[in-house]
Parts: sequence; C-alpha cells; structure tokens
Amino acid sequence: MTAARRGWLARHGRELPPAAALAAVLAGVLLVAPSFFGAENLRDLAINNAPVLLVALGMTLVILTGEIDISVGSMFAVCSVAAGLLAKAGLPIALVPIAVAVVGLALGTVNGVLVGTLGLPSIIVTLAMLVAWRDALRWATQGAWVQDLPADFQWFGIGPAAAQVIIVGVPLLVLAATGWALRNLQIGRRLYAVGSDDEAARLAGIEPRRVVFGAFAATGALVGLAASLNAVRFAAVPSNAGLGLELQAVAAVVVGGAAITGGRGTVTGTLIGVLLLGTIGTAMTYVGISPYWAKAIQGLIILAALVADAALARIERHGGLLGRGAVAAR
Amino acid sequence: MAASSVVAPSPPADAAPARAPIAERLFPNNEWVLLVVIVVECVVFGMAGHNFATAGNAFEIARLGVEIGLLAIAMTPIIVTGGIDLSVGSMMGLAAVVLGALWHDAGLSLPVAIAVTLLLGIAGGALNAVLITRLGFPPLIVTLGTLSLFRGIAEGTTGGIQHYSGFPASFLALGQGYVWGRVPTQLFVFAAAAAIGAWVLHRTSAGRALYAIGHSPEGARYAGIPVGRRLAAAYVVSGFAASLAAVIYVAHLGQAKSDAGTGYELMAITAVVLGGASIFGGSGTILGTVLGLFSIVLLQNGLRLAGQPAELSGILTGVLLVATIVVDLLSRRAKARPSPSILATEQDDVRNSQVGILSAVILAGALIVAASNWMLVRSLRDELRGAGSTGTSTTAPSTPAASHPVVAMMPKAKGDPYFISAKLGADSAAKALGVELLWDGPTDLDPAKQNEVVEAWITRGVDAIAVSVENREAISTVLRKAREKGIKVVTWDADAEKDARDFFVNQATPQGIGYTLTDEAARIMGGSGELAIITASLSAANQNEWIKYIRERLAAKYPKITLVAIQPSEGDRDRAFAETQTVLKVHPNVKVVMAIAAPAVPGAAEAVKQSGRTDVKVTGLSLPNMCRPYIESGVIESIVLWNTKDLGALTVRTAQALATGELKRGATSLDAGGLGTFQVVGDEVRLGAPFVFNKSNIDRFDF
Repeated sequence: MTAARRGWLARHGRELPPAAALAAVLAGVLLVAPSFFGAENLRDLAINNAPVLLVALGMTLVILTGEIDISVGSMFAVCSVAAGLLAKAGLPIALVPIAVAVVGLALGTVNGVLVGTLGLPSIIVTLAMLVAWRDALRWATQGAWVQDLPADFQWFGIGPAAAQVIIVGVPLLVLAATGWALRNLQIGRRLYAVGSDDEAARLAGIEPRRVVFGAFAATGALVGLAASLNAVRFAAVPSNAGLGLELQAVAAVVVGGAAITGGRGTVTGTLIGVLLLGTIGTAMTYVGISPYWAKAIQGLIILAALVADAALARIERHGGLLGRGAVAAR
Repeated sequence: MAASSVVAPSPPADAAPARAPIAERLFPNNEWVLLVVIVVECVVFGMAGHNFATAGNAFEIARLGVEIGLLAIAMTPIIVTGGIDLSVGSMMGLAAVVLGALWHDAGLSLPVAIAVTLLLGIAGGALNAVLITRLGFPPLIVTLGTLSLFRGIAEGTTGGIQHYSGFPASFLALGQGYVWGRVPTQLFVFAAAAAIGAWVLHRTSAGRALYAIGHSPEGARYAGIPVGRRLAAAYVVSGFAASLAAVIYVAHLGQAKSDAGTGYELMAITAVVLGGASIFGGSGTILGTVLGLFSIVLLQNGLRLAGQPAELSGILTGVLLVATIVVDLLSRRAKARPSPSILATEQDDVRNSQVGILSAVILAGALIVAASNWMLVRSLRDELRGAGSTGTSTTAPSTPAASHPVVAMMPKAKGDPYFISAKLGADSAAKALGVELLWDGPTDLDPAKQNEVVEAWITRGVDAIAVSVENREAISTVLRKAREKGIKVVTWDADAEKDARDFFVNQATPQGIGYTLTDEAARIMGGSGELAIITASLSAANQNEWIKYIRERLAAKYPKITLVAIQPSEGDRDRAFAETQTVLKVHPNVKVVMAIAAPAVPGAAEAVKQSGRTDVKVTGLSLPNMCRPYIESGVIESIVLWNTKDLGALTVRTAQALATGELKRGATSLDAGGLGTFQVVGDEVRLGAPFVFNKSNIDRFDF
C-alpha cells in the first residue's frame, strides 16, 4: 500500500461502506423502478430531507466531541411552534428563521451548560430534555396546531420555486461551511481533539468544556433553523413535529461512519447517511416492498454499516480490532 | 466530564469515618436522596391526592412498576459495565407477538409458548452480546440497530394488525390477579428478580467483576476477568428480562401486539440513572434502581390522584433526573479531597466558577417544583371547600346522590386534535351541568397507560368514568373492577366489552365509518379507479378496523375500485405529506387519497396541492378547522366525521345522568338540554350518523 493511498483511505475509508450501500440501493432501484429518478421525485426527496440534514450536521458536531444529543426531536417541535407563533405575532417572515435559530440556540445552550460547563453525562441530560420539552410543549399547546398564519408564511411569500431553493440551499451551504471549518479551522480541529482524548486536548491548551458547550449550542441553532425551514413548507404548524427525529439523526451520523466514541467522522459521511436512510423508505414504496418491513430494514442497515466498518478497519490495520473493542466498551 | 474522571479514582481513606459504614454500604451513590424524594412525594401527594396514602394504592403503584422494573433491574448491571441496552422495549414487542403466535397460531400450550418466548429473549440478548463483545461495537449503536430490528420484525410479521387475545384466566391471573386478596401476583416475580439481581450483582465475584469492567475494561482484563464473557452475560440477561416483562405485560393487558413496550427502554434507563448509577460505568446498585423506579411511578400516580396534568410528570421527571446527577456530581467533588497538585488547584477554580450556575439550575428546578406544589395546595384548598361532595375517608366512591358528581373522562390520546375538540364540548357541558370533570389520559396511544389512569381514578374515588377505549381486551378487566366498586362506567368513541360498562355513547360504529368513507370515495371517483389510503401508524387498532370495513365494502359494492397502497403517517402531518407525494408518483392513476388520521388529511392535501394535480382529490377522517383552507380551495372534496364537540358534551351528560340515577337501562331517550334529545337503544346512546363536511356546509362548524 502506498502512502498516498493509505492517506486517502484513512481519510475517507469510513465513508466507503455507506457510500457503497447507497450506490447498491440506488442501482437496485434503477433496475426495478427507474421512475424513482424522475426530476420531481428527486426534488421532493431533497426538500423533505433537507431539514433532517441540518439536524444531522449538528448531531455530527456533538458526536465528534464524543457526546450525544437525543433531545433534538423535542427541540425541533418547540422551534416549529415558535416559528408559527412568531410569524403570527407579526414578525417579518424573513426574520423568522433567524429568530427561531436564536430560540434553538437558547435551548441548545441549556444542554451546553449542563453537559459542557457542568460536565454532566450528555445522554442523561438530553434524555431529560427530550421528555421535558416534549411534555412542556404538550402542556402549553394542549395539542392545538398553530393555524391562521399570515399569507406570506408559506414559502416565505416568494413562491414555492424560490423558497425551495432556499430550503435545500441553506442546508447545503451549512454542510459545505461545516465541512470546510472542520478541516481547516482551529475550532474544527478542536472538536476532533476533544473527541479523541479530552485529557490530551486539555493538556494541549484546549478547553474541552467550552468546545462541548459550543457543539451543543450550535446544534440547538441548527435545529431551530431546520424547524423554520421545515415549517414554511406548510400553511399550519402542528404541535407534535419531529417525533423520532433524534434516532434518525443519530443513525444517519453513525451510518455515515462517525465513531460514537468521538473523534472520528465527516460531514460527507453524514450526508451519505442522511441520503441512505432518507431515500430507503421512498425506494421501498417504488420497488413495491410493504412498508411494514421499513423498520426492520432500517435496523439491518445500521447493523450492516457497523459490520462493514469493522471489516474495513481490519483491512486498514491488521489486529486493530481488539484495541478498538476495548475503547468501545468504555 | 474530564474533571470527574480525574478525581473519581481516589477513594479517600480519610473520608470513611465521617459517615456510618452501613449508610456507605447501602447507599454508595447517595441513593438516600431518592428516599427523601419518595418521602416528600408521599407527604405532598398524601395531602393533595385522593386516597393516595392507602395500602391498596401502594400495591397498585407497585403493580404498574413491574414491567419497567424488570427491564431496569437487568439494565443496572449493563450500565455498571458502562454499556447500555436500548433494544429492551422492542424486544418486549417482539416477544409479545411471538408468545401470541406460538400459543394461538402454532397451538402450543401456554407453558411451552412462554418457555420458547423466554428463549427468544435470550437469543435476542445473545445477538447484542455477540456484536458488542465479539466484534467490539459500541453498545449504544448496536442496540440502536436492534431497537429498529426487533420492532421491525414484530411489525413486519404481524403486519402491525394481527394481535392475540383470549388468553385463559389462569394465565391472565399472572398480570391481573391478587395473592391473599390484595397483593398483585406479578409483584412476587419482581421481588424475586430484584433479590436475585441484588445478590448476583453485589454478592458474587461475577457481579463484582462488572464493576471492575465499568471502571476499566483493560484493567479488568489484566486482573484476569473474562471481560467478554461477563459482558455477554449481562446482555443475555437483559434480553431474558425483556421477554419475561413481555409475558407479564401480555398477562396484564390480556393482549399481545407488536407495539408492546414502546418507549420502555427510556423509562428503564431513567430509573437506573435516578438510582445513582453512573452512565460511564463503575457504579450503581439494585436498591438504587428500585428506589429510582418508584420515585417516578409515585410521581406519575400522585399527580394523577391530585388531578394534575400528566404533562407535569414528564417535566418533573426531567428536572428530577438533572437534579439527581447534579447532586451526585457535587457530592463526588466534595468527597474527593483535592490533592496538592497542579491539577487539583485548577479543579478548585473550575468548581468555584460553577457554583453560580449550579445554584441557578437548582433554583430553576426548585421553582418548577414549587409552582406545581402551589397548584397542589390550591387543589387541596378547593377540595376542603367542597368537602362532602366526594368521600375521602373510604376507597369507595361517594353516594351517587351528590349534587356535584365527579366525572372522569379519558381520551385515547390527549394531544390528538380530535379529542381536544371533544374536550371543548365536555368542558362546557360540565359547567352547565355542575359536574366536576377530570380529563386525563395517555399523551400518545398507549393501552397500558389507559389502564393505569383508570386504576388511579378507582383509587381516587370518582362517581363516573368515561373512557374512549384504545384496546378492548386490555381495558375491560379494570373497567369491571371499577363497576364492582360502584363507579358508573361509560365508554365513548370506542367501546369496551359489553359487560365492562353501563352505557356506550356511540357516535358511529367502525362499520359505519368504513362504509361512509368508502361510499364518499366511490362517489368522488365515479365508482371506478385507483384508491390509496394514508393511515396513522401501521399498528393503530382503530384505523385497522376501519380499513377492514373499507376493504369489505369495496369488495361487496365497488369491484371496479382498486386499493393500491396503504402507507403509514405515524400521526405526523409531515410524514403524511411525504408518503402522499411518493404514492402520487408511484401510482399516477390514483384518483382519491383517503387519509384516515386527523393530521394526515391536511398533510395529504398539501402534497396534492403542491403536486399541481387537480385530478386527484383528498377525503378522509379529520376535523373541519384543520382542513378548512383545503376544503375551500377544493383540494379536499369532503371529510367524514361527527360533531366531536357534541360527542364530548353528550358523554358528560350521559355520565352525569348515570351518576345521579337519572339514566337507567331500559330508557329510550336522553334529554341533553341545548344539544337536543338523543336516542337510547339498549345500552347505547346514539349521537347520530357520521356527517360529511364539504364546501357547502363547513362554514357552520368551528372545532
């Protein structure tokens, strides 16, 4: 193996299995139901998965630091309702996404303080927030939808075509910016450093608490942005949005090759993960597989991604599996 | 996180004499905090709740905790090793379905079926174990995968629809019966599990090994502990416990369905973590887990008996969780004496800077608790003022002659807009009739939760209970129990077994709904073409019942209409939108999309509207307000429903008439004041036929 090839594999190796799986699924669909690749379907898939991509990008940052955020679905619901209420209160529609991102930032800050600053375990903190935000929202809205929104709420009042460009474009811009920042900026490298070994990062002069705080706060803001972009596709806001979004986002990030123990993962991988999990359901309908098996197939994909990852790691460096296992068990 | 891991491994020898060794041994992780919480809960709810502090209620609370308790006890050793098992709830669903299928379809005797089910649990646990210990994958991700996998297999094999009931009484006694007249049967299983769990975890070398693994797997390996085998055993036991919990769940509810145990994994983890176990491994006790479990169950039960909104329990559970780990963190830091090193002084600085934030967090938690307590006190005061209207001294309800009868009314799901509009009608009827109305129920469709709420109402003592039944077999036992205690029982919206209730307020039969929907779709389509259905979840009992009658009607009357797709929406508007988009593309000849869940209709309509297809119409079952813009623009041709507001009002009126003795079997009509007079046929009060809302009449309705 040449040094150059090894470098490429080390950098992109973990994205190979999900990319191959995505290619296999798409190839299979192309054979059985080529109409899947109609322009309209691809556009709808892109729009429907764009908000999920934003949330998964935030989740990538959190998972890179070795933490997890399972409160994103509940935060998404709170932010959706906030978007509706703010628009109804007369806030100009152009400002709604920014304002809702600030609401999300505030929610994310709560997680950030508890996990980052105080050092509490993230799975417990965000589990508490998952339950608390969802029930608080139920209590506040009593299940009622936000209706009778201003006429310019749907599609930002600029028509579907232009708004759809924004809905898909913004997440892609965030994707590109995050990817660039993770590779080239100090703050990006710090995420990897903290996730790989927070003690070593600390000794190297990085403050892990601040980095973790930042990851959670940024995730909150991204969830807010995602919720507002999702909300403007419709003329009313339901109070139960984002059910199960946390599992979708975590699964996409992990299928995309990120290590749940932190320090490893890329936004390209996350994009592939979102595409794979986001298209599989639609692809099943096109191919004619009963939706009753959707969950089982989703589970198999996650497990298959793990096995492929392990196989690749074994190829990459022989005998590395035992050591990794010990790390994983911690 | 870095801080605690640096400081934690220095067990201070000099701190030991400060506390009595027995307290150290019993409560190594400050579990006494939970005892305080439990005592506080008992005192507060004992004052504010009806009949909270009774032996009967204590046993009912214990019964409700058994299934989650079994999962939590098996989860404790896993969390002690630093792992996690998210798949237990799904394993319950799979085990329940397999138990039902083996007994009902394969004709095995129940003991054999139970044995095979338990083996299946072991096999499921073994799958997790192999992936985690042999292949070295992170437990979080492995069990996230099997979470989807197990539930998916359960749903796939049963089609979400198939469920099993009619189990023999001897089996149901395991989940519903009593020993010595008042101790619930399954409590013995739970006690045995807790005792065995505590013994293995705290008294055997294998159990101690788990703690060593939790502190450092590598260190444990060097110490000669077979790390892989010990870890594997923990996951296998967890699978076994999940299948055992499934058996008890089935006996408790009297039915086996693929949605058993949904979300239980989070409850179990919450109990373990509240119980003082560190999610990073190395600490945790069975005693702590049991205390943690009961502090949540007490909270839920107490809030219910005090007539507080169930949503509070979620918020308070969250606060309790965060507060517990903060207290734990603080006491750990206090225990660990700073050693004279650079690290330690830095530690001190960090701690000082955090005192402010910590107090803010604790203050916020205290404020929420105080606010809820204020409400409890207020309700207590109301209670004292209205003393005499409901008996508080006995568990039996007061005499029905009460001028202000207490009517407890339960929807299938509180957040559902359909039931919210029913509540509007119920509220105004209660005000007009002078009825004290309690409105509570599951936040999501959940038959087990419905039973829990009815149990709480029986304990609290009410005059009449009105339930919109999610699962017939599951709820009938507890409704019969309510009737035995002299409480009048009404079912509304969906019926229980006939002998389990006095009257059924019938808005429309499933057959009537299915037929009306089909006729409406056929009318729009002109009697031929392709039809697609967007349902709620694939295992939703109501929707599956309607689909059965829709198919029946199609076969009998409209042979030229083909049903090409049934897609799930999970009661999520956005999901219904995406599914409809796909259906329209995959089946371009679909003429009508029929959505049969309230939020799914606007979702489907938006998809049709955005596709620009004017030749496709939407119909279905939903609420006028939600669909109004689409009906006015013509995307939705019509929706089928009854006046849900009137349904709520009529239900309260029926319950009140029963409680005061005004309505008896054999009556032929019921006067509901402003609503008009309603027909009573046998033991049913009839609201009237389903109503078709369309462009011409929608302006007249606002709900």
